[in-house]
Amino acid sequence: MTPQFLFFCLAIVAITAALGMLIARSPVSSALWLILNLFCVAGLYLTMNAQFLAVVQVLVYAGAIMVLFLFVIMLLNVAALPSVRDIDWRLGVGFVLGVALLAQLSYAIASSTDLMPAEVSLESTVATGSVEVVAKELFTRFAMPLEMIGVLLLAATIGAVLLARRVSPK
Amino acid sequence: MLQTFFPLFLQLLMAGGLALTLLLGAKYLGPKRPNLIKRQVYESGMDPVGSAHQRYSVKFYLVAMIFIVFDVEVVFLYPWAVTFKDFIAAGSGLGVLAVILPFIAILAIGLLYDIKKGGLDFDS
Amino acid sequence: MEIPVDWYLALSAILFLLGVIGVLFRRNVIIILMSIELMLNAVNISLVALSQATGDVSGQILVFFVMSVAAAEAAVGLAIVIAIFRNKLSVDVNDFNLFKH
Repeated sequence: MTPQFLFFCLAIVAITAALGMLIARSPVSSALWLILNLFCVAGLYLTMNAQFLAVVQVLVYAGAIMVLFLFVIMLLNVAALPSVRDIDWRLGVGFVLGVALLAQLSYAIASSTDLMPAEVSLESTVATGSVEVVAKELFTRFAMPLEMIGVLLLAATIGAVLLARRVSPK
Repeated sequence: MLQTFFPLFLQLLMAGGLALTLLLGAKYLGPKRPNLIKRQVYESGMDPVGSAHQRYSVKFYLVAMIFIVFDVEVVFLYPWAVTFKDFIAAGSGLGVLAVILPFIAILAIGLLYDIKKGGLDFDS
Repeated sequence: MEIPVDWYLALSAILFLLGVIGVLFRRNVIIILMSIELMLNAVNISLVALSQATGDVSGQILVFFVMSVAAAEAAVGLAIVIAIFRNKLSVDVNDFNLFKH
């Protein structure tokens, strides 16, 4: 099993899952397709030697965020969900904009072959992504951003509690 | 490199294969003779009443949301726990502690706020 | 490894595009939020790919921060959805025109 073959398998499943998320009628199956997509992305991280990131991807995205999504879908009334997908002018505009974006991105990728440094030392990339390497950077160079993430999560907690709590009548 | 993760792939394959085998086996191998009585929801002999799609309480959402926040916190604590000894050996243990303790304290404020607002109160 | 970084960037672009299409097409606000998560993931792929290609681990650290932001975004976004659903009894974005009068 060569890495290229593995990459193509994961990429095809990831794209299929993303498409499935887009066209699934029930939001629950949409969420399940997205979970498959997130697992494929975790596999892609493994092919890039980002082991810890792959574990975190499964832990945070598939384990926590998607659980929250499924929770909210269950929380809301199923009968109130829009049943029919509308195909109106937005479909045309969205398609044109999407194709334009794809053309732009592929042009940027195709024309940026000199983006990479000419010489990449393989020795340094092999160890990339293990817990030790990540921790060493995280707690020295990125200490301040880490505190900012703490503040952001605090703000999210307070905001979500305030928004979701039922306002009790006095 | 990827050979290291071969057992992981094997495990995923076995887990998925087992689930698929069991589901498909139950679907195609078992005899199916459904009738009206069999297809009813089992409610201890009573006729089923109402819809199964009931709305959950928002309190569950608050618990799930707190879970997400602390899940992300654990993701940042995990590399700290693994490498703290190395940091101490390198003489920068206190510096790393000064990074991680405010981080925990900030998130603890959120938990205290949630408790004070009654977000984790299930009785009321 | 032998996989060129361009492949990862191309996959990232395709997934990002699918996310954009999801935001533009779907009316269900929960699926729109999921499409945003898909776009964040596409960006994460390109970040990790470039981090590996340049041998610099800081791109991966950035992905951790993006994941935290995604978690916070999902928590607050879904709380807003719940709050609006209470008043409007709908998750259709066409019903969310709160600033119109």
